[in-house]
Amino acid sequence: MTHLSMEQLVALREPGSEPGSQAARAHIDECPACRAELDRLHQRVARLRALPPLRPARDRLPAVRAHLAADRRRRQVRWAGLGGLALAASLALFVLVTPVLAPVDGAEQALSNELLETMTRSQQLERALVAIEPEERVLDTRTATILGRLEDRLQVVDRDLQAADLLERPVRTLERLRLWRERVGLLDALVDIHVTRASYAGL
Amino acid sequence: MDAFRAAELDAVLPRLRAGDPAAQEALYRAFESPVYNLARRICRTTEDAEDVLQETFLEVFRSIGRYRGDGSLWGWIRTVASSKALMRLRRNKYRDADELDEEAAPVRREDAALRMDLEAALERLSPTARSVVWLHDVEGYTHEEIAGMMDRTASFSKSQLARAHARLRSWLGEEVIV
Repeated sequence: MTHLSMEQLVALREPGSEPGSQAARAHIDECPACRAELDRLHQRVARLRALPPLRPARDRLPAVRAHLAADRRRRQVRWAGLGGLALAASLALFVLVTPVLAPVDGAEQALSNELLETMTRSQQLERALVAIEPEERVLDTRTATILGRLEDRLQVVDRDLQAADLLERPVRTLERLRLWRERVGLLDALVDIHVTRASYAGL
Repeated sequence: MDAFRAAELDAVLPRLRAGDPAAQEALYRAFESPVYNLARRICRTTEDAEDVLQETFLEVFRSIGRYRGDGSLWGWIRTVASSKALMRLRRNKYRDADELDEEAAPVRREDAALRMDLEAALERLSPTARSVVWLHDVEGYTHEEIAGMMDRTASFSKSQLARAHARLRSWLGEEVIV
């Protein structure tokens, strides 16, 4: 007598009727060895279901929360980034128009040129950050906290940039340059952390 | 899985959609263990399983607005967790080493006498075979559903299950308990 294969025994547990299952059932009725094998299969599955649940050694909720908080900050930074672009546009207009309305000296013109370069660098870094898709990466709590601090500081800088509009020239140009330099430094650090982490984790 | 009863869920869902941290913690605590258990049964290491746990809840909290309450909440979370775990398997290229895994550690005759315990035998299966056994026999997915998640055919899932049971049978040296 040919006994049933494991594939046939496993198929007998399926709710629908597999091809050949009727013949297999008839065989089970007549063959004690195959009946015992089917019982073993049922018991093995019951034991699998009864295995004690495994629990994580570490609490990952803080990391999940840090990630969600980073998501929120990132959305705010993007809005601020749009604000930054508007600022950049208005400042570019300012740089182009001001010499016509009120002549600037050579030193201030050099500051204005440096300001434009810094703003351009800031926009390049923002684009790089978006391309990294930071939302898709798993972060440990420490990294998420560092990123959170950098993003918080970025928001403060963006607010200060808007406030700097109220200052008088040439202090305004100097203050803007200082803030845009800081913005570039912060964005650079954000990109650096994401890129370093991605290459370290092989992502 | 009745970690969240229907009435509780009705109360918690709007808070989850609003991003309420207390509601998120309640959901996390209710399903942390089953999600980790599922991930750990599929993934090779505890670190991978913990990453899957984190990725699963991030996805759940980010897309809770898409859960309409048609099926059970656990069913939805479980599908997210299974997909994340299988994705991690693919990313780690475990599948390529599947056959090597089991062939590299052939069962010796004396192993039968040792009566390897079920937990150890399950661990010894290749990641793909172990995933199919767990998803089908314990979580209750059909071969068609498993095939969809693994990007393979239902026949592949069936043959993996049969081969896995043949191996478990041989490693465990089981007697029928009457």
